[in-house]
Amino acid sequence: MAAGRRPPGAEPWLDWMVLPTVGVLAVVVGYPVVYTLVLSAQHYNFLEPEPARFIGAANYAQLVADRIFWQALGNTAIYTFGSVLAAALLGLVLALLVETYASPRMRLVRALLLTPWAVPFVVTAFLFRYMYLQNGGVVNAVLLHAGIVRAPVAWLNNASLALPSVMVANVWTMTPFFFLLLSAALAGIPNEVIESARVDRARGMSMIVGIKLPFLRSALLVGSLLMVISNFNDFAKIWATTQGGPGYATTTLVVYVYRLAFENFQFGYASAMGVVWLLLLMGFAVAYLRALRLR
Amino acid sequence: MSPGVSLASGFGRVACAAVAVMAACVARAETVELTFANWAAAEGTTRPAIEQVIKDFEAAHPDIRIKSEAISFTEIARQLVLRVRSGNPPDVAQVAGNDTILVALTGKLEPLDSFVTGDVKAALKPGSLDALRYKNQLIAFPWTQAPAGLWYDKALLQKAGLDPENPPKTIDALMNALAAVKRSQPDVIPLGLDTTNRPFAMQSNWPWMQTFGATPIGEGARGADTPQMKAYLTWMRELAQKGYIDPGRKIGEFRPLAAQDKVAFLWDQVLLQGVIQSANKMSDADFYKRWGVTALPTGPSGKSYTFEGGHQLVMFADSKHKQAAWTFIQYLATSPAALRAYTLGPGASLPPLAKLPDAELARKLDTPVIDAFATKIIPTISPPPFGASFASGSTAVMAGVQQAVTGTEPIDAIAKSIQQQLAK
Repeated sequence: MAAGRRPPGAEPWLDWMVLPTVGVLAVVVGYPVVYTLVLSAQHYNFLEPEPARFIGAANYAQLVADRIFWQALGNTAIYTFGSVLAAALLGLVLALLVETYASPRMRLVRALLLTPWAVPFVVTAFLFRYMYLQNGGVVNAVLLHAGIVRAPVAWLNNASLALPSVMVANVWTMTPFFFLLLSAALAGIPNEVIESARVDRARGMSMIVGIKLPFLRSALLVGSLLMVISNFNDFAKIWATTQGGPGYATTTLVVYVYRLAFENFQFGYASAMGVVWLLLLMGFAVAYLRALRLR
Repeated sequence: MSPGVSLASGFGRVACAAVAVMAACVARAETVELTFANWAAAEGTTRPAIEQVIKDFEAAHPDIRIKSEAISFTEIARQLVLRVRSGNPPDVAQVAGNDTILVALTGKLEPLDSFVTGDVKAALKPGSLDALRYKNQLIAFPWTQAPAGLWYDKALLQKAGLDPENPPKTIDALMNALAAVKRSQPDVIPLGLDTTNRPFAMQSNWPWMQTFGATPIGEGARGADTPQMKAYLTWMRELAQKGYIDPGRKIGEFRPLAAQDKVAFLWDQVLLQGVIQSANKMSDADFYKRWGVTALPTGPSGKSYTFEGGHQLVMFADSKHKQAAWTFIQYLATSPAALRAYTLGPGASLPPLAKLPDAELARKLDTPVIDAFATKIIPTISPPPFGASFASGSTAVMAGVQQAVTGTEPIDAIAKSIQQQLAK
């Protein structure tokens, strides 16, 4: 065999043809990640004229003892998983309903159901902020008129109600994504499968649970993973509605990192939090992809 | 015409054109462009006025062009610090409150001591430069003065059975007045207070804390876990529980409501008059008939306090046109044209000058509102402890205020939690 020639069937570990891609990834992904890691081990405050100085793991030690960090982490988990679960369920129900009652009129319904997905997140946030207003908000006006509440409710200014209220806005935005995804998956179920299930007298819930849901599993898993990552990083909706308040009731990791980095200019500490945030997301993504592969 | 003459004529034309181009280039080289970062151009009330002032300045100084960069009030400090760090600051910027010190902390502001000569200094109100010194250097020049007072809608007070000419002087009297307003007009917000979580809200609430004797941060501070701070937080909770305040709104969100007679008392700066009149087109006479302003009601400390929320102008050390920048700063703050069009116009603030340049401008300050500010409110000014710790501390303190206002957690626990955050 000539020198340098690969044995047949052997996969190269690194082919020179992929080097340009590796180079681009190193610049746009690798550099920011490495620089964040470096910053996380430094005391670096933009307001201090002194240069950054190495402090080892001190930022991480501070993070472990930071009560607000843990509250923000908890809020992030509730906001992310709660919203994704609710939106997935709603999207599923809507997709099944629209498929069951398919008709030319349903095209209009389908288009209307997709509208929230087309609204920019910041617009959604302001829309819900004004709808939730304690004085003059449409939500309170409707509830008061219907006699459901006796006094206006402080939806965004009550420590217990603020997070669920923001989640409702989030679910409103996200449901069309699941509706669209699951409608496409439902359309992809082979007719033969549906027909043979009907021959076996599968109807209604038995058809949905026994036949359709297994076909939707992949779409649900992939869609949920995408939305979990997207919600973990969701800043616009929370900042525009509550700015993380009242108190820290709606402060998620991304809001807390923003406050640390761009209000207090503590870039070192904010970077340490960013590293933890990155690791959490990577861990979740790996576990999720493994679950998908094991299926 | 002979070919020789034609050739000479052609050369002549080319030479003339070359000279014209060179002259234009020289003229262009002499014109300097200044970047001016400000929020006056970002707000509907003040945008036309600041644009007019800039146009007037450029007409008066044809060698200086101004590139106005509109940045919102909430964003400006963040953007200026980031621009300084990336080596791209503007020449001049509008700043206020804690933001002035934050930007100075970067060490990239040009000291103004060499520009503020004896004449300029003598024209200013006594003490107006005192709070603008950092590390013994003058780091900003006063543009407007805008202290806060307790504004009250006389008609709403009258409807509530209160004496519209005798606003509350103590916290207890204020609580009685708020109860009367709430009882008689349930759709009116009895008291407009900014309870958002941002440094400006902390600045706005600082005088209320002070009148309770609370000083959570600053030199000689007692911290947050004190009886005074707990008394303040308890009072804030009472305001919210009784429906006297509408939590979560920025001060700017109360102003349009005030213009629609939906707010009885409003803790706001002198510029409120301009905003209300701009919104509802009320005449001066009608405004003074409808609105009054007084000092903060006194709490357990027995003293009244307020903050000075005026705007300043800063010059950046990296500016290549410092003299032109100073000319612009001086024009904005002291020229009769700018005072007329902006400071005393929609800005509705007080100029930093001890004496106004003409009688017409002086007449603009001869109003009941300005009189109330001069005699009752300005003497109670007490500057908050601005600095880096004020910015980070305000996040902790205002989060605690929000917890007190909107939650049920015991006040003792909230005060302790604020203190833990401040101690970090």
